[in-house]
Amino acid sequence: MSSSEQKYNDTIVKGFLISGLVWGVASMLVGVWVAFQMVYPELNFGPYFTFGRLRPLHTNAAIFGFALSIIFATGYHTVQRLCRVRIWSDKLAYLHLSLYNLTIIAAAITLPLGLNQSKEYAELEWPLDLMIVIWFVIFLINYFATIFTREEKQLYAAIWFYIASWVTIPILFIVNNLSIPVSWIKSYSVYSGVYDANIQWWYGHNAVAFVLTTPFLGLMYYYLPKHIKQPIYSHRLSIIHFWSLIFLYIWAGPHHLLYSPLPDWLQTTGMVFSIMLWMPSWGGMLNGFLTLTQAKEKIKTDATLKMLLVGLTFYGMSTFEGPLLSIRAVSGLGHNTDWIIGHVHGGTLGWVGMMSFAVIYYLVPRLWNTNLFSEKLANTHFWVATLGILLYIVSMWVSGITEGSMWRAIDETGALKFPNWVQITETLKPYRLFRGIGGGLYLIGLLIMIYNVVRTILNSGSGFKEIDLRIGSKEEKIV
Amino acid sequence: MNWFDKLLDWFSGFTDQWEKHGVKFTLYTTIAILIGGLFELVPPFFLSKTAEPIQNVKPYNALELAGRDVYQKEGCNNCHTQMIRPFKWEVDRFDPQHSYGKDGYSKAGEYVYDHPFLWGSKRTGPDLAHESQIQPSAEWHKTHLINPRDTAKGSIMPAYPWLFEESSIVDASKIADHMRGLQKIGVPYTEEDISSASTLLAGKTAGDALIAYLLKLGRDTAELSKSLQ
Repeated sequence: MSSSEQKYNDTIVKGFLISGLVWGVASMLVGVWVAFQMVYPELNFGPYFTFGRLRPLHTNAAIFGFALSIIFATGYHTVQRLCRVRIWSDKLAYLHLSLYNLTIIAAAITLPLGLNQSKEYAELEWPLDLMIVIWFVIFLINYFATIFTREEKQLYAAIWFYIASWVTIPILFIVNNLSIPVSWIKSYSVYSGVYDANIQWWYGHNAVAFVLTTPFLGLMYYYLPKHIKQPIYSHRLSIIHFWSLIFLYIWAGPHHLLYSPLPDWLQTTGMVFSIMLWMPSWGGMLNGFLTLTQAKEKIKTDATLKMLLVGLTFYGMSTFEGPLLSIRAVSGLGHNTDWIIGHVHGGTLGWVGMMSFAVIYYLVPRLWNTNLFSEKLANTHFWVATLGILLYIVSMWVSGITEGSMWRAIDETGALKFPNWVQITETLKPYRLFRGIGGGLYLIGLLIMIYNVVRTILNSGSGFKEIDLRIGSKEEKIV
Repeated sequence: MNWFDKLLDWFSGFTDQWEKHGVKFTLYTTIAILIGGLFELVPPFFLSKTAEPIQNVKPYNALELAGRDVYQKEGCNNCHTQMIRPFKWEVDRFDPQHSYGKDGYSKAGEYVYDHPFLWGSKRTGPDLAHESQIQPSAEWHKTHLINPRDTAKGSIMPAYPWLFEESSIVDASKIADHMRGLQKIGVPYTEEDISSASTLLAGKTAGDALIAYLLKLGRDTAELSKSLQ
């Protein structure tokens, strides 16, 4: 056991990393399945495995199974190192890990059974919601106690982003999930109609913000400089983009409700703040890019660095596309179409997924004290995943814009050009097929990584030695 | 950009201090995220426009509510929206009978008894907000639900034959409990509404209930519009 393992608790980090891999496979497997259901309805196996029941399983497993696992793993890993103390309580950490996994298992069972609240990304029924609140509180106590007992005075940028996420997630979650239970397995939202829509999308958009964005920015601020052994490009830029990002993000929700009966002033507020959000988002992306350029000679050879680069690129792309889609006129075309699905997956597959993979490749060899089994396979994973994402989002862009245009097409007499809905569905079929193939490629990439990680772990304890993969130092390369 | 640099100096002077104080930092972060949240969530509660039902809009009866539960359980909202935007092409498509005159788009007052709202976010199948005005035939809906390909060749909707099986008979006492729950959060159910559950639901399957719900969508407002025209 090395001295760092005695000082810091890395078992909890390992636990969450493995949870992340398990739930990652589960969510993406279901994702690929539902993608093909959109082309071949025979793939719906009733009553438990129809699209309507599997889609919430896919999103919940991806956001709360995969992404949250990675966030907790990196949260525990970074907070101990940035505060230079061990996590405050090992027991609370393990309790958190077990209750968390129990909840996700329960979610994987109850969602196919059709037990859900019908609120997007908040589908779990009330007993599970209560369980989530319990382990989140356990986690919060442990995390903040660690910060208060820290030996390093200054809180580094990475930790700001984690803190902002930890305080915001419970607020969003509790407010949106307030409901009246009518039995153990059924509840109704206490809000109704337009109120409910407003609160749901305040939650929904900020789940994107504080589960899928800020913790991953925190992760970037720690692991990117660590990996390339260069400081972050600009501390001041971190300050500016952090405070403006967390202040502005929370306002953006109503852009999901443009042209709805939501009061106009609220729709406009959501739209204006969404457009403003573009600046802090790109602030974060630029800080990442400029940091990365300090090690640009490694990009050709280092798969982890390539993943960070592509992750940041997709972050920049989705945070450009988001404000664009929040403009009323663009929303008129894109809303409710496949374009939105493409936009979301640009962020999740590109930003969240790639950053997670990079962190896994960084952490696994260090935590298990050995070298990565195969750099070549990591590189293959990178290319397969990137190709998968591109196929996915390009087909969804084409499909979405086609869909939106066909809905609104009107002939010379003013009548609908495509009154028959199925005609539109048939037109979109090939694009949706390509989406499934793209998603399948991405899943294959993940499976390659899991093989690589398992082989690495089987070799644990052989000693970790950092290898410079730059061209010219080929003799040091391991396969 | 001198002034901008000065502004940044001034601001980072504060934040540098916060970064050394965990409690202060967390507190200011919380305030930053609460401002926008409060601004957007609180005022709508006091706006009557979003809270008052359109005259004529009534809560779901026991059978319709049971159908709404089925709609939620099957996740129909993952593919069908229930919100018609004020565009000509949407109104033409989702109000083909012109039941609402020129105003076939969705209004806040139609949703006041919806706990939760079911607008959805993806329109893979058509919008259903005014489904009662598009397809008023219960028989059509039954055929469609049992196998969507029988009424719409090329449809990618899953088939729901089990909804009409003997095992899917709805438990009326459960629905009465659901109505009591909704009553507590402001749906104006009378004791009579609740006690009618047993007669309305006698022998009905989940599928029958779902069809009743679909035929309720948009019906009340359409009737009002017709009576005004």
